Amino acid sequence: MSAPDFYFVVNSTARHIHDEYGKEVLVDYWRSLGREYYGQRAGKWREGGLPAIADDWRQYFLHEPGAVVETTVEADAAHLDVRVCPAIKHLRESGRDIVPYFCEHCDHTCGSMAEQAGYQFARTGGMGSCHQTFYRPPATAEE
Amino acid sequence: MLGCQDFCGYYDWTFHYLRRNFGQGAVEKYWAEAIAADAQHHYIQTGEYQGLRGLYESWLKTGRNEQCDWTVTLDEGHNLLRLDMRQCPSKGFLLDNDLNADEDYCDHCMGWIGPALHQLGAEVAAHEHNHCGQCWWEIRAIEESQPPVEVSADIRKDPRWGQGYLHRYAHHDKLPLLSEGEDADSCDVLVNWFRSADSLVVLGPGSSSVGEAWPTNDAHPAEIVSGRRYAAGDCPLDHVRGVLLEHDPGLLPAVAERFHSTERRPLLMHCYLPGEPMLNFAQHRLPRAVPILPLLIRSGVYTHQSQRRHPSTCLFAVLLAAALQKRIVVRDLERPSSQLEADDLEYLRQAWQHVEGRMDLPTNLRGVFPQHSPLVHNPSG
Repeated sequence: MSAPDFYFVVNSTARHIHDEYGKEVLVDYWRSLGREYYGQRAGKWREGGLPAIADDWRQYFLHEPGAVVETTVEADAAHLDVRVCPAIKHLRESGRDIVPYFCEHCDHTCGSMAEQAGYQFARTGGMGSCHQTFYRPPATAEE
Repeated sequence: MLGCQDFCGYYDWTFHYLRRNFGQGAVEKYWAEAIAADAQHHYIQTGEYQGLRGLYESWLKTGRNEQCDWTVTLDEGHNLLRLDMRQCPSKGFLLDNDLNADEDYCDHCMGWIGPALHQLGAEVAAHEHNHCGQCWWEIRAIEESQPPVEVSADIRKDPRWGQGYLHRYAHHDKLPLLSEGEDADSCDVLVNWFRSADSLVVLGPGSSSVGEAWPTNDAHPAEIVSGRRYAAGDCPLDHVRGVLLEHDPGLLPAVAERFHSTERRPLLMHCYLPGEPMLNFAQHRLPRAVPILPLLIRSGVYTHQSQRRHPSTCLFAVLLAAALQKRIVVRDLERPSSQLEADDLEYLRQAWQHVEGRMDLPTNLRGVFPQHSPLVHNPSG
């Protein structure tokens, strides 16, 4: 059930927690979500490594309406080239007021999941298109 | 990213996050402010502009997007917008994926629809849901007459309506869970039902040893048994105060026969685990069993994890007794601790810690905890 109006709730939930409890709690919410709700998914990343991460996101974005995303895997990193973020696209087309920290949910939720799997997460860009990288921590890469 | 394909799963988890950190009031505030007034603001806009017809159009669009199996009926002449849900895709996602993070996912609909309608001078005049994916709603303008209207799509005519437990609302007030009770909250129902018991004796599936196993100094012990054991009558029925029904529809005829032939009837309870077979109580003229997961989750004694082996009925009964903060006597588990799965031992430990060791295990299980721990009680010793 991929109903794009659910993106409205992702946006309004971030606004509500931020305004009601503060940014620190919002970050804790996103990170806890990655750790608890997505814990099993992160476990599969740990088992399957970077190819599993890339494949997981490729499959995931296939079910997000309007998404245009390319995934690639290198020796030490999995890359997501998010050309069209389906959430931002739908929120904009629906005239919704997007919270300025919307894209940070990826940093914290994906970051939390990456850490559980033994990787790190980085994002450049945002608000419609971005580049996301899951990579081995430097110490591990040297081994 | 947080996508829309698995939204319902982390929506449920979000309720639990808010509830455990900030309390029930925080969840209600979230539904009213973040959902009704923000995410679902388009309902309020169309409702302000077009009344019930505007809401009807909005729900039709939602139904198409979410692929609801339902009937939406608009009868403006009788001041009625009615929804009859045959299979809720949102609750269905949780059931299909074995998800149950929060106490009661279905509450969120009333949680946002109620506040949204109040802004429009409308209300949920009547509503029921059975927590198995079926529900019905009567939405009406408050200031206009609200004549009774029959609809052919009434979900209550569907055999699936006999499944699950009902939450019922009239004019936004939640009604008592049991027909003869006053408590609307299932946790309150359980607490009050067992209030007079000093100890709860949980009988496992083994042969009866109750007479010799009960602590002699307890004035008001009460038994909890499984549906199978209750139906078989292999326990002192006079002491049975609660029956925790398994996810086995085949047991219901025998349970019903025993229940209807008993004068002092026990409270029927059930886990309603997602993904397990559903019990049709109405089919057997049984009262709908009271759910125990909300209390277990609220007390923190149990966290439902998909793909993890769930506790047996007996262990769920032990967790229930722990959530009720009673002294627990466990009998007839039969298997020695060496044959229990690691998860079972973990559940037992959780219960034991929750009641601070006020738990009396059968001899074959006393090795589960430190042998000389003063917290392990031996009634015969």
